[in-house]
Amino acid sequence: MRADLDLETIVSELYSPLYRFAFALTRNETQAADLTQETFLILTRQQAQVRDVTKIKSWLFTTLRREFLRGLRSQSSHPEVELKPEHQDLLVSDSAVSQAIDAGTVLQVLAKIEESYRMVLELFYLADLSYKEIAVTLDIPIGTVMSRLSRGKEQLRTLLAKTEPPGKNIPSSQVKNLPS
Amino acid sequence: MNSDAAKEILSAYRSEDRDGADPIFHEALSHLENDAELKKWFEEQISLDRSIRQKLAGIEPPADLQAKILARIRGEKVRRSVFALPPAWLAVAACLVLGGLALFYSTRRGGPDRFQEFKTDALAMVSVQGGPQLDLETPNLNETQAFLREHKAPYYEALPSRLKSMETAGCRAFVWKDYPASLTCFLLPDGQFLHLVVINRAALDNASIPAGMKAMGDWHVMFQQKSGMLLMWASRAPMDQLKQVLVAMVGGVRGLAEVQKELRQHALPVSSEPVSSIEQ
Repeated sequence: MRADLDLETIVSELYSPLYRFAFALTRNETQAADLTQETFLILTRQQAQVRDVTKIKSWLFTTLRREFLRGLRSQSSHPEVELKPEHQDLLVSDSAVSQAIDAGTVLQVLAKIEESYRMVLELFYLADLSYKEIAVTLDIPIGTVMSRLSRGKEQLRTLLAKTEPPGKNIPSSQVKNLPS
Repeated sequence: MNSDAAKEILSAYRSEDRDGADPIFHEALSHLENDAELKKWFEEQISLDRSIRQKLAGIEPPADLQAKILARIRGEKVRRSVFALPPAWLAVAACLVLGGLALFYSTRRGGPDRFQEFKTDALAMVSVQGGPQLDLETPNLNETQAFLREHKAPYYEALPSRLKSMETAGCRAFVWKDYPASLTCFLLPDGQFLHLVVINRAALDNASIPAGMKAMGDWHVMFQQKSGMLLMWASRAPMDQLKQVLVAMVGGVRGLAEVQKELRQHALPVSSEPVSSIEQ
């Protein structure tokens, strides 16, 4: 990365998706905000080590995820909140699903997906990263990203179809510390 | 490329403006023209992706998050810019900091806090229940002065005759902040103590010494500067009695006009009812 990197512009463009990604990881507003701040602070300190300006976005999401995992490891345990959506064996079309969901529902459903798929989906939806950027962020091959995206989306679609319509879901404010 | 392979690739497709130029999607996208089922699947997926992104965009960051981040970044930049200075400049900066600290502490040393500290310490010493600890217990003032002289502790010799004639409980030589000091305890007629603490005036540097008698809790305190020394008088005796003693001490054998002048300097009243108007 160049020494004259415009950090303020980067913050302006990326703090929102980074926060959303952090919120998806932590399910906690305060922790997500702290994680986002810490990520930018690390960028400020280590900007000389980031050589490719085009990969800053991936670098930020990688760093945020690494910091989140580091925080998890430092905790002896983290509580889990029971999810109790009444699943209905109801198959609906994608368009019907898309109209019936809200952000809280999406996060709840994402939390139920296996981590390797979930992480790819979160970077795809929340961070709006390309498959190449996801590959860099997670340090996995491009082909793996594509297959995980494909299978992850299938799981997501199925779970959303089984999820209750809005109003009966757990409020997003109560969705905290979901199991990773 | 079969339909399943095309679906896997197209699962990573976001939109025309972002991924339209990526050649890896071209072949998969070309299959849409000839595969109606794939096309329907793709359209529904794009719709679902768009909807999910819109829903997730509803997760709004705290309103002040951007400002907080920028503030922390600016603070970090300042911190790093200081530590990124060349060693010579860093040394100059370190000297400036150390110099500032030295100036700060040297100022504190001679400032009001130094005086307050001395006053507090002295009062604590004489406030001990049963009376302060004494090195020498004697009713004779001359013996206390001899003891203090022998132990190189400061004492005030030119006391008025009335005080010189009073019995003492004794004296003590001690050190305060590396400065020798002394305590002499006089016995007032009613059995109360009148303590005299003496220390070199230099111990307080430039601290201004308040004039007049002060009430501090149940203590009455007065300060005087004599011959380069600071005298601190302290007693729990009633103000009336104490004032009479101190007026006598201030006056000594001098004339009334001289006494009144010094009383004014110490803010002690010189009216016909001096006792009741002593500053408290």
